[in-house]
Amino acid sequence: MFDPALFKLPGMRRLAVILALLAVIEGLCIIAQAYFLSVAIVGLWHLHQLATIVRPMLLFALAWVARQLLVVVKNKLMYPMVERTSGDLRRQVMQKLYKLGPSYVAKTGTGNVVTTALEGIDKVQTYLMLVVIKVIDMMVIPWVILIYIAILRWREALFLFAIFPLIILFMIILGYAAQAKADRQYEGYQRMSNHFVDTLRGLPTLKQLGLSRQYANNVYQVSEGYRKQTLAVIKIAMLSTFALDFFTTLSIAVVAVFLGFGLVNGTIALLPALVILVLSPDYFLPLRQFASDYHATLNGKNAFAAVKKMLALPVPTDREQLGTNAIHWQADSTLNLQNVTFSYDQHQPALQDIQIRAHGYQRIGIIGASGSGKSTLINLLGGFLTPTPGAGKIEINGQPVTHLSQRAWQSSFFYIPQNPYLFHATLAENIAFYQPDAGLGAIGRAAEKAGLTDWIKTLPDGLNTAIGEGARGVSGGQAQRIALARAFLDDSRKILLFDEPTAHLDIETEAELKKTILPVFDDHLVFFATHRLHWINQMDYVLVMDHGKIVEQGTPAELEAHQGAYVRLRDEMVGVV
Amino acid sequence: MKDFFATFKHDTWVMPYLRKYKKLLALTLFLGLMTFFCGSALMFNSGYLISKAARHPYNILMIYVPIVLTRAFGIGRPAFRYAERITSHNWVLRIVSDFRKKLYQAVEKHAVAIRQNFQTGDVLSLLADDIDHIENLYLRTVFPTVIALMMYVLIIIALGYFSWWFGLLMLVLLGLVVIVMPLWSVLINGARETQSRQIQQGFYTQLTDSVMGLGDWLIAGRQKDFYQRQTKPIAEIAALRRKDHQFQWWRDFTIQLIFGVVCIALLIWSSFYWTTNSASSNWVAAFVLSVFPLVDAFQSVSQGVSEWPSYQRSIRRVNALDTAPTDDHDQTVLTEPFQMLQVADLDFAYPGGHRQIFNHLDLTLKAGEKVALLGPSGTGKSTLLKLILGDLQPTSGDVQLNDVPISRLQNQRAQLFGVLDQQPYLFNTTIMNNVRMGNEDASDDQVKAALKAVELEPLIQGLPDGYDTIVEEGGARFSGGERQRLALARILLQDAPIIILDEPTVSLDPITESHLLATVFRVLQDKTILWVTHHLAGVENVDQVRFLEDGAFDMAGTPDELYQTAPRFKRLYDLDRGREA
Repeated sequence: MFDPALFKLPGMRRLAVILALLAVIEGLCIIAQAYFLSVAIVGLWHLHQLATIVRPMLLFALAWVARQLLVVVKNKLMYPMVERTSGDLRRQVMQKLYKLGPSYVAKTGTGNVVTTALEGIDKVQTYLMLVVIKVIDMMVIPWVILIYIAILRWREALFLFAIFPLIILFMIILGYAAQAKADRQYEGYQRMSNHFVDTLRGLPTLKQLGLSRQYANNVYQVSEGYRKQTLAVIKIAMLSTFALDFFTTLSIAVVAVFLGFGLVNGTIALLPALVILVLSPDYFLPLRQFASDYHATLNGKNAFAAVKKMLALPVPTDREQLGTNAIHWQADSTLNLQNVTFSYDQHQPALQDIQIRAHGYQRIGIIGASGSGKSTLINLLGGFLTPTPGAGKIEINGQPVTHLSQRAWQSSFFYIPQNPYLFHATLAENIAFYQPDAGLGAIGRAAEKAGLTDWIKTLPDGLNTAIGEGARGVSGGQAQRIALARAFLDDSRKILLFDEPTAHLDIETEAELKKTILPVFDDHLVFFATHRLHWINQMDYVLVMDHGKIVEQGTPAELEAHQGAYVRLRDEMVGVV
Repeated sequence: MKDFFATFKHDTWVMPYLRKYKKLLALTLFLGLMTFFCGSALMFNSGYLISKAARHPYNILMIYVPIVLTRAFGIGRPAFRYAERITSHNWVLRIVSDFRKKLYQAVEKHAVAIRQNFQTGDVLSLLADDIDHIENLYLRTVFPTVIALMMYVLIIIALGYFSWWFGLLMLVLLGLVVIVMPLWSVLINGARETQSRQIQQGFYTQLTDSVMGLGDWLIAGRQKDFYQRQTKPIAEIAALRRKDHQFQWWRDFTIQLIFGVVCIALLIWSSFYWTTNSASSNWVAAFVLSVFPLVDAFQSVSQGVSEWPSYQRSIRRVNALDTAPTDDHDQTVLTEPFQMLQVADLDFAYPGGHRQIFNHLDLTLKAGEKVALLGPSGTGKSTLLKLILGDLQPTSGDVQLNDVPISRLQNQRAQLFGVLDQQPYLFNTTIMNNVRMGNEDASDDQVKAALKAVELEPLIQGLPDGYDTIVEEGGARFSGGERQRLALARILLQDAPIIILDEPTVSLDPITESHLLATVFRVLQDKTILWVTHHLAGVENVDQVRFLEDGAFDMAGTPDELYQTAPRFKRLYDLDRGREA
């Protein structure tokens, strides 16, 4: 019910104490309000004049206003804390995200990451706002009221006291029953509830198969089935609200009848009886308010747990083993990987015994079937993945590092994937992403080298045209050229990592693009993962990968002569089976 | 207000359904009303009970009726509430079923325009969400408001019966709570909602942008800029939420104040009206106490109504959908077997587009012929396929099957064309059901034979659930090549004479690709095939290759011919094979 983690939030203990004190005062206000209202009613009951009840009426009004003001005050006290916490969480999530890097996003999915940072934290905010005040109210106000009732008359107090745990017990039991029922139907239920979106997305396929019209009835039937199942679950789920409602209203009725008998027998006067009757709904009110927001708090609690889990994920440390300045990669620089291993899940290694000795301005091609580990290797080289600690070693210019997520290393290369991401910004800003201070002239020259000039001429605002998601569409070939323009603009980064940059391009576009890419290779260390064989002709060294291992490496000529894995792979690729 | 009526002017989504299932709706409202009536009556009756008991009646029977009533109302309230919740959900879910069918039919008409890409997927989820939204509109806004209004009218009538001036006073005071405050809320909230949506949307877009480009941020080392970008929207959202909350706190406070005034007014009225004798003064407590249970019911109206702007958007969006039935009076069927597909003198430009996509294009495909269609992206390969399928109409010229225009054969399309595209959709059901979609009358053996033909038999037999394995959302259970094979099996069952292959191997690696193409051309050997491809792997399988460039074919011939005579083809073919100088 109450997450212990909440108390660890800075300033929460102090706030909780203040809120509890305010809840005590609120309880007293509730008592005062009930008391003076009853005094006024009893005055009228005794057929007194209006003038005689003015004073209790005013006092009632005062207590009423004070009580309502306290509600606002509690919220106002709570809110800055909630705002600070959710703001902090948002910032922490973003910072953590930056440290976790793209491999985390790839694993979790962009949608999920954005949802956590946005809606997840919104839910946490609602949760914090609701749960703290409501739980404290529930733990304080009923008892203040109960003590007062007990002073007036212990029998009714005892009854109200006894019913409280009974209500909670019933709610828990019924809650579990509903959960169990829902769990039993979960799988089919889930499928039915997603069926609609699934069908909508598959509409083009349904149309191709000539089924799209008749499927309307299927949609209706599945939805009706879903309705029946949902109702079956709701019937049980709502029972817990029913139990709460039933016991609280019936308790009030029972108290009223008790008091009625007491009055008939003359064991109690009207005033205390009326006060007890007025107070009894307020005794249950905090519990009812908590229950009515129970689901919102449950969602918030889960979201809070999810955010904390993300914040607790390990991130690479020791990112400055090579200092903070970019490495000047030169003709005699070396990168050395020995027996490096990597695994996504700590069990099955995704890369095993990787041995690479790269030096100077080599062009290293990486080939292999899909799933052989080409992309994983590139991601490891880019420092997006951390190798298994302790196994193997990595050296840059002879200096050992534990992983390649080094700031100095990452400032020295460009990474060009299959689909380079284009930011929601102007073309110039996209090209100058790595050099935000570059002038328009330099950007234009880089764009020209990347073969973008003709295309830019067709754009309404030239280099200042907005591109990216939701703006002007950019074809796959042009996206690659923009990524290349980044490399042309910043000549200080001498290492290039390519991850299948042309895999989705048509052969003619690829042929054109290749003419632009080749000059970039000069004076650069190049790692080029591809399954388009013609690139191998431009490489001076090749790594052949299979099942996470480098099964063969050497110059193309050596591999050709060797007639091993490389030749087999090539034959299979061109369809000589 | 005008806005409110404008939303419903051409409404086909909300109002008609209030009329449908009238009885269930009436029952729901009745049960809701009874819930609050019982809650109020319980306190009313209890107040009367103890006031009367305090007069020490000589016989317990004098208070017997109030005692019984107290228990009845005490049990009645939760019972009615429970029943109300069940019926309201039942009603709403019935409507949802109707909605879904209707939405489906509306979208189905434009199925062509839906490509299975990221963005349209979003639009569809948005529409599906809209339906959930309208569901909430009923549950959170319409029902509570209508019930509160009915309760309001009843109270005014009841009090007006005792004294008209007090009835009038309550008409004003409670009117503030159930009419003025909600309207005020929706007014304030409506303005803020628009602003809030903009900020949220902006943050969402920007966050997605940052997350998708995270790799670049990281490598560029622009950590500070990355954090900086989030600061402003975070602060804006916080400021907005603060305003929202403050408004709600003070609104609820005001409503409570009004109820305090109502209590005092009741006391004052009672002092005039119910103090004539001791029997009538027993009613004072009854009236005053019955106010408190109403607070809940009346207070929730403002919150419910203030959510209206977000519902309004959903209602507008679904109402904007075209739900008119399709006109198919000029449709016909092809009676004799397919012999020839002919594209003659075809011109095409997208409506409103400046560029002429095709100029006098001609293409003839005889039964059994296999043609590969190539060209750089953007030359209109996909557009040509849409024209051939009849999803688009040519500006001039014809597309005909055996002399019948394709536009008149739309109802028979699935019997004429089988389509295998880049990402064939697999539904989240079993392998059997997915493949059987090709021909719903196919026997289990036929389905299994098709799966065997596409070489999936060993894979499926190795799965724990075999042919009944669920493919999961979007076919996630299987790899890209396997998904294509499942779709191919579906096409085999469909058994149409013409097969359109729309870059089916674009996302596959070369080995998977060459194996898949070998299977495709083996199992489809007697079909007529039009194959759009992005490179030349497998091109030996076709009779004819055509290159599309600038709206016309600029190279055509058998692969062998072209290799001998067209240097451009030779160069590309060699490149594809890894042979390049």
